[in-house]
Amino acid sequence: MALATSQIDFAAIEARERASTKKKWPSVVVAAFVSLIWVVPFYYMLVSIFKTHAEYTANNPLSLPEGFSPIADNAISAWNTAKMGAGFANSAMYGIVGAGLAVFFAAMAAYGLTRISFKRQNFWFMLIFAGTIFPFQIYLIPLFFAYQKIGIINTHFGMLLFYTAVCIPFPVLVLRNYLNGLSREMDEAARMDGASEFRVFWSIILPNCIGPMTATFLLQFTWIWNDLLFSTVLGNREEVRSIMNSLQIFHGSYTTAGPNLTLTAALIASLPAIVLFLLLRRHFMEGMRVTGV
Amino acid sequence: MATVGLKDIVKVYGRHIAVRGVDLEIQDKSFTVFVGPSGCGKSTMLRMIAGLEIISHGEMRLDGKIVNDTPPRERGVAMVFQSYALYPHKTVRQNLEFSLKLEKLPPDQIASRVNKAVNLLEIEPYLDRKPAQLSGGQRQRVAMGRAIVREPKVFLFDEPLSNLDAKLRNQMRIEIKKLQRRLQVTTIYVTHDQVEAMTLADVIVVMRDGVIEQSGTPMQIFESPANQFIAGFIGTPQMNFFAGSVSMSRGVATFVGEGFKLPISKSRFGTGFEEGQNLTAGFRPEDIVPQERSKSAKLSADFLSAIGFTEMLGNETLLFSSYAGTEFVSRMAQPRFVAQDEIMKFKFNVEKMHLFDGDTGMSIRAA
Repeated sequence: MALATSQIDFAAIEARERASTKKKWPSVVVAAFVSLIWVVPFYYMLVSIFKTHAEYTANNPLSLPEGFSPIADNAISAWNTAKMGAGFANSAMYGIVGAGLAVFFAAMAAYGLTRISFKRQNFWFMLIFAGTIFPFQIYLIPLFFAYQKIGIINTHFGMLLFYTAVCIPFPVLVLRNYLNGLSREMDEAARMDGASEFRVFWSIILPNCIGPMTATFLLQFTWIWNDLLFSTVLGNREEVRSIMNSLQIFHGSYTTAGPNLTLTAALIASLPAIVLFLLLRRHFMEGMRVTGV
Repeated sequence: MATVGLKDIVKVYGRHIAVRGVDLEIQDKSFTVFVGPSGCGKSTMLRMIAGLEIISHGEMRLDGKIVNDTPPRERGVAMVFQSYALYPHKTVRQNLEFSLKLEKLPPDQIASRVNKAVNLLEIEPYLDRKPAQLSGGQRQRVAMGRAIVREPKVFLFDEPLSNLDAKLRNQMRIEIKKLQRRLQVTTIYVTHDQVEAMTLADVIVVMRDGVIEQSGTPMQIFESPANQFIAGFIGTPQMNFFAGSVSMSRGVATFVGEGFKLPISKSRFGTGFEEGQNLTAGFRPEDIVPQERSKSAKLSADFLSAIGFTEMLGNETLLFSSYAGTEFVSRMAQPRFVAQDEIMKFKFNVEKMHLFDGDTGMSIRAA
């Protein structure tokens, strides 16, 4: 006999089910405590950007600000003194062009590695892949001397060359795996439809890789945007300076400016990556889903 | 409109030989079906005809012209793939237009070709949808549409129905046949499903281990299989085989199986028999007749056998049993309820007996 739904005591069921999850408050307390490690610095930044320098030095660093208005002044002053405009432009160029080219080249490599048969395919793949195995820092000294010798140190081209090259291996790994899963019958159909090899790549394969390409592009862009080490060593002149490098120099030379300005600058500097992620999040999540990045 | 000539075609992958010398002439406007178990080389044949695989050795001609080295796009062949292989990022219309745009046809011609295919296949309502929004059957139609718009000389189908459910498969099978009749284009179709082969083909080509075992009309293949493999492969349920040997008496040969004897007709099987020669007798399920009362000359004497299990299909019942250690299937044309372990009388329809050489498996027939 079917149970009449009117006889079901929903409240009792809910209470019983909740009871089974209730006795977990000790773990919640521990989790809350641990989360302070992340929350406090964030809170510190959040209150500091709304303080003037005088306000910051007068009160406890963690105290609440007296008002919201100082942020505009802080932003303008940080932007100007840290020369963030130039840093933004440089880093945007390195990030967009460098990561863009890297992902595009990686897609071409992945196409070749999965669709064109040639000798020692696996060897070539492993060679490219080796780029992700070693810590990037080992490139630093040789690159510096080589760049100096060739004369591309402190140039936009040199920076772009490094960022593009260093960002290729990881997307190759991701895109190769993804392309391996894409139906080969699809490119055969295109070949029968009269498409040349490049046409197959451009019109059939690329449009079907938007998800993983966006995901890897965002990861590489963020890496380039946040890179401090290489941009300090390879591009320290003002015209080629990246945003992170500008921040460091700002922090170093204007310590009198106070943490309120430094933090405002840091916040501004992290906005583009966040905005880009929000804009592309649909593709990014899809890319994460299909590639398991 | 084209003939396809294959001469001594060989395909080698590294050290593995996938196709070992195929000769075949495919007539203009004919419907040819390559059939065989998986790994027999039938798909490889199709892919070589398409130009997707290099022909290792031999000659392929399209309308008399050698096309071994002609790339797929210049051969004038179109293919429908097993997975349909539609472009997922393009709408149905863009899928259909893609090849025509690559050919750089003028827009009005592209539109008219697409419209023609769309009307033929009744896919008008889905034109602006992407493949992911289509059902299996609709995708199948679009895949065919993509082949049709190119107005190819030859249509190639690579197991196009294997991803569809049984009902849709039957429906699409009929549609493919109708379409081919209407368009009158030479068609080559690969399948492992012998029902598709029987129903679609003008010519069936049975392949095994990279060679053609037999080619002919469906009825030729069904009624006069060249060997035991083909006899077993074509027809469901498959043909029943009984091992036995020849007994000669005053120049008349008799097939002696375990516990039964059957006369060997001179007119059908000739006279080249020797005493003790190993033979295999083959009977299709409908030729092992249960409960037949008539004493027609074409039927053998009764034999009794217990029913192992039955498959009741409604219009007929398949009886699974064994006789003298050999399992067999009998088709009961007028079904009634049959209990398990019921002892039933069977007769062989001797007139429809097939004989195969016990050692080579080759069919035996009067010269």
